[in-house]
Amino acid sequence: MNRYSSPLNFRRLVITLTLTWLGLFVLLPHLMVILTSVLTPDAEHLVIWPITFDNYLKVFEPIYAGVFWNSLLMSGITTLVCLLIGYPFAYLLANMSPTMRVVLLFLMVVPFWTNSLIRIYAIKMILGKKGIVNSFLMFTGVIDSPVQLIYTDFAVIIGLVYILLPFMVLPLIASFAKLDRSLIEVGKDLGASPFYRFIYILLPLTAPGIIAGCLIVFLPAMGMFYVADILGGAKSLLLGNVIKNQFLVVRDWPFGSAFSVFLILLMAGLLIIYNKANNYIQHKGGLDDENL
Amino acid sequence: MKIFKPLFILSVFVYLYLPMLVLITNSFNQSKYGHKWAGFSWKWYEKLWNNTGLMDAFVNSLTIAVLTAFIATLLGTLMALAIHRYKFRLKSTTSSMLFILMMSPDIVLAITFLIIFIALGIQLGFWSLLIAHITFCLPFVVITVYAQLKGFDNNILEAAQDLGASEGKIFRVIILPMILPAVLSGWLLSFTLSLDDVIISSFVTGPGFEILPIRVFSMVKVGVSPEVNALATILLVISLSAIAVISLLIKRKQ
Amino acid sequence: MKFKTLNKLATGLSVLFAVTFSVVAAEKVVVYNWTEYIPDGVLAEFTKETGIKVEYNTYESNEVMYSKLKLQNGKGYDIVIPSTYYISKMAKEGLLAKIDTAQLSNFTHLDPALLNKSYDPNNQHSVPYVWGSTGIGINTNEVDPKSIKSWKDLWDKKWQNSLLLTDDVREVFHMALRVNGHSSNSTSEAEIKQAYELLTKLMPNVLVFNSDAPREPYLAGDVNLGMIWNGEVIMAQEEDSAIEYIYPTEGAAIWVDSFAIPTGAENKSNAHKFINFMLRPDVAKRTVEYIGYATPNKAGIALLDQATQNNPTIFPSKRIVEQGEFQTDVGPAIEIYNKYWEMLKTSK
Repeated sequence: MNRYSSPLNFRRLVITLTLTWLGLFVLLPHLMVILTSVLTPDAEHLVIWPITFDNYLKVFEPIYAGVFWNSLLMSGITTLVCLLIGYPFAYLLANMSPTMRVVLLFLMVVPFWTNSLIRIYAIKMILGKKGIVNSFLMFTGVIDSPVQLIYTDFAVIIGLVYILLPFMVLPLIASFAKLDRSLIEVGKDLGASPFYRFIYILLPLTAPGIIAGCLIVFLPAMGMFYVADILGGAKSLLLGNVIKNQFLVVRDWPFGSAFSVFLILLMAGLLIIYNKANNYIQHKGGLDDENL
Repeated sequence: MKIFKPLFILSVFVYLYLPMLVLITNSFNQSKYGHKWAGFSWKWYEKLWNNTGLMDAFVNSLTIAVLTAFIATLLGTLMALAIHRYKFRLKSTTSSMLFILMMSPDIVLAITFLIIFIALGIQLGFWSLLIAHITFCLPFVVITVYAQLKGFDNNILEAAQDLGASEGKIFRVIILPMILPAVLSGWLLSFTLSLDDVIISSFVTGPGFEILPIRVFSMVKVGVSPEVNALATILLVISLSAIAVISLLIKRKQ
Repeated sequence: MKFKTLNKLATGLSVLFAVTFSVVAAEKVVVYNWTEYIPDGVLAEFTKETGIKVEYNTYESNEVMYSKLKLQNGKGYDIVIPSTYYISKMAKEGLLAKIDTAQLSNFTHLDPALLNKSYDPNNQHSVPYVWGSTGIGINTNEVDPKSIKSWKDLWDKKWQNSLLLTDDVREVFHMALRVNGHSSNSTSEAEIKQAYELLTKLMPNVLVFNSDAPREPYLAGDVNLGMIWNGEVIMAQEEDSAIEYIYPTEGAAIWVDSFAIPTGAENKSNAHKFINFMLRPDVAKRTVEYIGYATPNKAGIALLDQATQNNPTIFPSKRIVEQGEFQTDVGPAIEIYNKYWEMLKTSK
């Protein structure tokens, strides 16, 4: 077998497959979305020809600023809570024997194979005025009358974290699993305190996992309107609601598309800023991957 | 400090399993809406057994989820590899595409997928559903695997290449074992995502092929039936026993 | 040994083939509907009686059903069950085929009061299946039912942060438009704006918007007063008889879910047979018992027990129906509604 043709073939296959699939099922649909976003809405035909940029102007109406802020805040808090629970959880799991790790990993994922709607209904029952949490708190005498837990932002966060926690833990576990433990031992031997070992060894080494986990939690959280609708009482609008309403209820597809395009650009912008800032800090602090 | 670790793990599992406990309890509850305990009953299991529509949808869902998980993991791993290892034109476009895919609201993907399937003449049903599910799972696999590939020592690969190992062999012998945890994670993510998607599925599926989430969400008009709780309980019991058996087998081997 | 296995496999395959073929060859009707919106066993009986196989597919909202049919030019399904104002919209856009009532021998059982409505004159495109209304739900253990008579009563300051409203722009605006003395199908921006202003005063009282199962918060004890659909109250009463339904004096919102046949349907004649089967009095009777909403089928009502027939929550009096208002398509004005709806929800 020709030694040079083989890598080329494997390579070509991978690249062709990647580009074809993404071209057909991602690029093409999104070109359609971009086109739709500059067309004119029409009640009967959904979209008609004259090209217009009014749809984009509409995105900047003040009421949507609140929607953006609200969604970013909710997703941000969810991501943070997921990270705070998921990081130590993944760390502890990664330190167990391989069998135990796999068993616990599956135990964590199994609840997620049941329909999310009925799981959210279950959370609703737990958080209700006569639910388990309130009954328990009243029984133990912590409170005298039921606290309003359900239909609050608190309930929404509980639900979002519940739905998204494994999405944080899975990439983190992978990240911990490849961690070179000798580095931590070296740190120990050199007398670094646990805090220093964490900041200067553990954190940078698991950074790719953290970033992956945060992305996988943060981005979907922005669209999970049904959690907010059921647990939060649908009293405020999130980005997912607005876009869904535009497509299904109002059927202003051009505006829905414009909104979606704007959302993607906004997120991309945030990501670029984050990357730039990250590089800057790393160069200043001398803590980038190459130096380690 | 010693007690803190198991306690933390335990509380996370309590959080994850408390809603499951509610579901299991209600699957045996005589009462339909489950706000009060009205006595023990198997009736929801009996009803489930006779509910062919629901059972068919469940089997279809599992089929799609397993296939999606395998194919998306395979494709996603290859894509992550391509982005990480190769230089090619449109490389940055590729990663932007994946990012956009993840960022796009479900409803936007749902409608555009439907339009494309109609345009390509793909019949709505099994295949359209499979393609759509694979596509929306891809970025999750790529991100997870890519994170693993990052910071991976490329010198080993170059050494292997110099020693005459083919690209395929390098992948099998060196890269795959290294990224296996991430690949497994990607598989689990895809399986979980596919099993639970509603919006995209309800647009791209066609007559004659229905999956569980659509059935369940469409129950809202008359109330979600406790049969779904029964189904969830059965699935949970099967999964948990599978885990128990496997871990026992491993233990015995050791 | 090996040969035997192979043989078995071949037989299995041929059986599979035969099954597949018989499915292809058999007569069928593709129904697109909500899950469990047809009583247990009815579909099987239909197949047994007519030999027509039913492929049952489900959707979770009128919106999804509409968008899907629209994108497929009305193809793919033989029967859909849109709610009132979707009938007029879809018929106007040519998505619904004409229904030939001559093929429906059971059509005569239907109550004329629910036929020939403004959303579908002469029932050219739709045959009513079930109907219901949106009114006031109340837990009589917690709130005195005598103190609540009208939509206006929900505005009372004492209900702060405690009410349930349905998460449906048209229904919520129905309430405010009616309180202001306007039609709930208004297309006038001034009237809609006025309704919006009234609703902003209601917002401090709202605890939750819920359109996926409004009975749940009542049953859980999280909500004791608010909007609800009548059928949901019937379902809730199985568990808690204290939950009751009130027809507000300004009029309830009345909706009808009807059978319709999309223009692209491939089995139109089977679809007619299916509708005719569903119009049988015994099927109509079982429908009421199963889903808790009213049937327009007079012969079916006569088969029900007296208690159900006289239950005003299911079958309101003629006067109450006349007080209420059927929802119709408001055309492009839906955009005005939605603008104020979004403003309402982002007002805090």
